[in-house]
Amino acid sequence: MVFAAMGLIVWTVWPWLPSQKSSKPQTLVLYGFAILQDVIAKEIFPAFQKKWHKETGRRVELVGSFAGSGTVTNQLIMGVPAQLAILSTELDVKRLQKAGVVGTEFRKKLPCQGIVNGTPFVIVVRPGNPKNIHDFSDLTRPGIRIVHPDPLTSGAANWSIVAEYGAALRRPGATVGAGKNLLRGIWQNVAVQAGSARAARTQFEQGFGDALITYEQDVLPQDKAASPRKLEIIYPRSTIFSEHTLVVINKHIAKEERQMIQSFVDFLWSEEGQRIFVKNGFRSVDQRLNAGNRKFGHVEDLFTIKDFGGWDKAKKDIIDQIWKTGVLKELKR
Amino acid sequence: MKQIRTIQHKISSWLPAGFLLLVMLPLILLPLASVFIYAFKGGLGNLVLSLTTDDVLFAIRFSLIIAFATALVNAALGTYAAYVLSKTRFPGRTQLGIILNLPVAIPNVVVGTSLLLLWGPIGLFGQALEPMGLQPMFTPVGVLLAHIFVTFPYMLGTIKPVLDDLETTYEEAAYTMGANRLQTFFHVVLPALKSGLLTGSLLTFAHSLGEFGATIMVSGNLRLRTQTAPLYIFSQFEAGNIQAANSVAALLSLISFVLFSIIIYFAARNSRK
Repeated sequence: MVFAAMGLIVWTVWPWLPSQKSSKPQTLVLYGFAILQDVIAKEIFPAFQKKWHKETGRRVELVGSFAGSGTVTNQLIMGVPAQLAILSTELDVKRLQKAGVVGTEFRKKLPCQGIVNGTPFVIVVRPGNPKNIHDFSDLTRPGIRIVHPDPLTSGAANWSIVAEYGAALRRPGATVGAGKNLLRGIWQNVAVQAGSARAARTQFEQGFGDALITYEQDVLPQDKAASPRKLEIIYPRSTIFSEHTLVVINKHIAKEERQMIQSFVDFLWSEEGQRIFVKNGFRSVDQRLNAGNRKFGHVEDLFTIKDFGGWDKAKKDIIDQIWKTGVLKELKR
Repeated sequence: MKQIRTIQHKISSWLPAGFLLLVMLPLILLPLASVFIYAFKGGLGNLVLSLTTDDVLFAIRFSLIIAFATALVNAALGTYAAYVLSKTRFPGRTQLGIILNLPVAIPNVVVGTSLLLLWGPIGLFGQALEPMGLQPMFTPVGVLLAHIFVTFPYMLGTIKPVLDDLETTYEEAAYTMGANRLQTFFHVVLPALKSGLLTGSLLTFAHSLGEFGATIMVSGNLRLRTQTAPLYIFSQFEAGNIQAANSVAALLSLISFVLFSIIIYFAARNSRK
């Protein structure tokens, strides 16, 4: 038993023994919102590592942490040593600016104002669509149980609320109150709330609920998946196109790291980087590349946050005023 | 006739255990079993594969080191606290004893948050340390601080009853022979604490190995840097990789089973004395 204990101790400290300390690689710390985990950790990071090694002969170690966009934002405000972050909504970027984590100037230096990729919001149902759901309005029927991410911590949840509200208003012949009515109907049926879109999907896959509102990207069938997901995607007539923003936290970037991090940022918008996103179900900022994924569905009327005056206005008018102090209060939630 | 009676006797002696099993089945045993079922879902090959990724190997090593360090620190601190509380008299002694036991009752998330608010970049100590380039939060030091806090009462709780029961005559004898407090402690008190120390350390180790709530707050959950095994499990579960999560969970349960077996062995040996 003594030998077993000794063996365990040696195994435990092995990587930190002096003989194992080869040249220390540079590191890049990236925090991302939940659905980015697979594409960043398994595809973007390794591709960049290879590219950087080829160009400079140096090793770079990439450290990532992923959670709901709001959670990541809170961690950043608390001071985690992130150098880059990719957030789901611009709302979270604004919170960082308000907390003094980042300034406003970094976005001007980035392509597309910092937007890395996007994806439309969809409804996910059980195979065969047993509840006959075809649009957001069908979710208001009594007895439908909805899995929805939590707006407090999840960017997806905020996108979803604007998607639901907007879809109702953009229906031909819609009245002024249509958006609020639809929100009320949907939130009456919300049975489970999860901390992030990814956690909501996990809950849905565990068998909770009849419908889930989430990113198209997170529920597209993956080529490599051992077992195809047992769910069906419903494309609403109109829905929002979410756009995800890169944040550069300059105060955490040392001088000697600047070049490597700039190179990584460039890689995200390079054709190779964008193709990786497309392959993994994100829509590229470069429209030509989007033909590269045949699984993308068609949305008749795709709108963006700009159609509702940008996130500042949408947050105040739709999320806070109509949803939070209106719908939630009326439903006594 | 005699045979029947022995069978009856056997049944009646097994009944309570059988009933206990029946009650525990849905509460504890089946949930535990499901960890192993999911871990083995993809076959043994898949299990080994998901246990040998860089992330998992780091997380397990990191967890073991933190647990070991926590046990070491708390073995010293806890014994000292137990000694002071048990062998000295001062006003507020009882209250201090209660306060030092509080960490088991406070939600661990709160512990994490308060550590962040004290040591973090926006915290009281954190702001003072920042100019010196010191930043304990989101590093292994932060994780260690959290674990020391959360597991402190276990060592204290194991040692203090032993000290309370320890006959004072031996100590008094030592004093009359001219030994000072330190000598008495090392030659008289400490030997009596041996198995209590071991049990307490293992208990601390086991709890540190499974600590989650405080760690997720103070670690930043960075893979290959501050991600402990429970954090890895949580991240994988959040990401929907249930098999990967349960593989590590199964391994952790196994380690804990071994640890607690050792604890019970020593506790039993101790009580026989």
